[in-house]
Amino acid sequence: MKKSAMIAQLRKEGRRILTEFESKKFLKQAGIPVIETRLARTQKEAILFSQEMGFPVALKIASPDIVHKSDSGGVKLSLNHASDVKAAYSQIMDRVQEKNPSASIRGVSVQKMAKPGTEVIVGASKDPQFGPVIMFGLGGIFVEVLKDVSFRIIPLSRKDALEMIEELKGYPLLQGYRGKEPADLPALIEIILKISGVMEENPEIRELELNPVMAYKKGALAVDARIILEE
Amino acid sequence: MPHKKPERSGLTPFFDPRSIAVIGSLKEGFFGGYVVIKSLINAGFKGEIYPVNPSYREIWGLTVYPSIKEVPQRIDLVLIITGSKSVPGILRECIQKGVRAAIVVSDGFAERDEEGRRLQEEIVAIAGQGDLRIIGPNTAGVANPAKGLIPNPYEMGYERVKEGTIAICAQTGMINPQAFPYGDLRYGVSKICDFGNKCDVDECDIMDYLERDPLTKVMTLYLESIKDGRRFLKVSKRVTSRKPVLILKSGRTGQGARVSASHTGSLALDDRIFDAACKQSGIIRLENFRELFELPKIFAYQPLPKGNRLGIITFTGGVGVLAIDEGAKYGLSVPLLSPRTRKKLDAIFPGLGKRIVDIGPPMAVVNDYMSIYSEILKTVTVDPCIDSIFNVIWTGPSGEFIEEYLKIYRELQGNRVPVASWVYGPRLDSINEMSRRLEELGFPVFPDIEMAIKALGVASQYAKAKGGDQ
Repeated sequence: MKKSAMIAQLRKEGRRILTEFESKKFLKQAGIPVIETRLARTQKEAILFSQEMGFPVALKIASPDIVHKSDSGGVKLSLNHASDVKAAYSQIMDRVQEKNPSASIRGVSVQKMAKPGTEVIVGASKDPQFGPVIMFGLGGIFVEVLKDVSFRIIPLSRKDALEMIEELKGYPLLQGYRGKEPADLPALIEIILKISGVMEENPEIRELELNPVMAYKKGALAVDARIILEE
Repeated sequence: MPHKKPERSGLTPFFDPRSIAVIGSLKEGFFGGYVVIKSLINAGFKGEIYPVNPSYREIWGLTVYPSIKEVPQRIDLVLIITGSKSVPGILRECIQKGVRAAIVVSDGFAERDEEGRRLQEEIVAIAGQGDLRIIGPNTAGVANPAKGLIPNPYEMGYERVKEGTIAICAQTGMINPQAFPYGDLRYGVSKICDFGNKCDVDECDIMDYLERDPLTKVMTLYLESIKDGRRFLKVSKRVTSRKPVLILKSGRTGQGARVSASHTGSLALDDRIFDAACKQSGIIRLENFRELFELPKIFAYQPLPKGNRLGIITFTGGVGVLAIDEGAKYGLSVPLLSPRTRKKLDAIFPGLGKRIVDIGPPMAVVNDYMSIYSEILKTVTVDPCIDSIFNVIWTGPSGEFIEEYLKIYRELQGNRVPVASWVYGPRLDSINEMSRRLEELGFPVFPDIEMAIKALGVASQYAKAKGGDQ
């Protein structure tokens, strides 16, 4: 399904929030490196997919009605065996039923656990006066507590993308800190520029977030994603 | 908010009208049409002035017309200082008369209440029916000193504003002649514009106009809001590649932004996004009101620096160290001077050829101090390791050395590197006199060390960004 066709399909269903699985599919088509994710509709499928991908894996609830997946008990990480996946599937379904009994459930997304890297966030939203803007920040407490984020207005130049990375107070963490590997800045710039392109080409998108993106010495990978369309 | 029609009349009639009609009270006082006409005459405005008021026949030898319809000649610019309710009717008459530009000084529009907001929408709609552009409402208007166009509605106590290359614009009357001592200032102004509630003419129109205005070398703006973000980004990107644009934006705090919205009736702006816009477009963002007037001086008077290497000449090491700290904020570095310069300085006075050229020691012991000072200043100015100079000047209790300093600075005129000066001493009179006369020579003097360094810092950043685009 083409990107625009995907949005059209969503509109037909009267939905504005893409599931994690749909968001990732959309972004993958836009050329953004996204961790391999498959949608399992049954417990059996979840086990089969995890065996095919190789352990450890993560399971996440796939529902257009649930935005905050972990708050609803819809996320299980670092599952190492088929038996873990089986148990996790049941637990997720039970918890979600309990907390969101009316949510429409499409299954669970199965994804390989990403190897640890430096967590960053790339987001996009709309400013009432400047239109689509891109946000970049370091993951976890850097965004939540320290509000260490930078903004640029689309369309971004390569120079803008580099400057928005460099201007973070936490930028030294991306340069490699106390033996940690430095992050692949060109790969991050590429993601920022592609998100700028996505926002330019899809005025239907109101909000978009890749959180986290794992930045490695070589390459970067979006592990979770969220897209919300305009009303 | 999309801009209305892309092809609208330019702003030339606002700044270079051959005729101007003034509609408002002609009663003597501190504010009103009377003051406008007096200001125009005193400033030497060469065009026609048509006072409009039904209760008068003549003022200062000018015929007063009961309405603009009765004015037999063509009118380029109309200035309206009446109650807000009369404005729509006057604007309709303007359109019938073929007027292209109106400055609405009157308040009581979107900045006041809901009724005012509707009234403002009404005047925008009326202007749209003709080819009429509006500055204001709620504005103290414009000035163009080169044309003697100082239609100031408030009493200001002086007649002339020095002609020059700095354009000062704001969403407030705090930049107009009644609020700032332009009459006493040394630096020259190309244009002044208070766009008030900016119901029509806004920051983008002004930047567009000033970009093409041959008299303007640098523009400095105070904004509370941006009318059209996308257009602002596009226009400012283009303009900054030709002329420096300095902007002070209020509403950094949430509370400031809300008060701004009620003050000018405009939409609050996310400060972080505005900051991004400045970075992306090459705008120099200012931090306080004083900078609005001070920082443009470096661009107006001095050449752009070719790099970030700062030379410091001072009377005390302390000032030099403060200057280095401050310079680091803007990426300025203080290099070692070239071997040749160091040798030359050491020959003038032992130990002078340091990173900070400290002239305190020789001053204390050399009899004919000023004779070596000239040599020191010239030697540092031509050093190839230096891109800009911060020079500290001390004036004595009775204004000692003023003439000598001036003589030395005259020899620096046409210098390759920009010089920012700071004057200090025990007497305010001497400091003011020294500063005034240096600025008359075209050497900007800043009120403190930090402002002087910031001026050189932003000039260096601007020059680098501009060079990078080419």
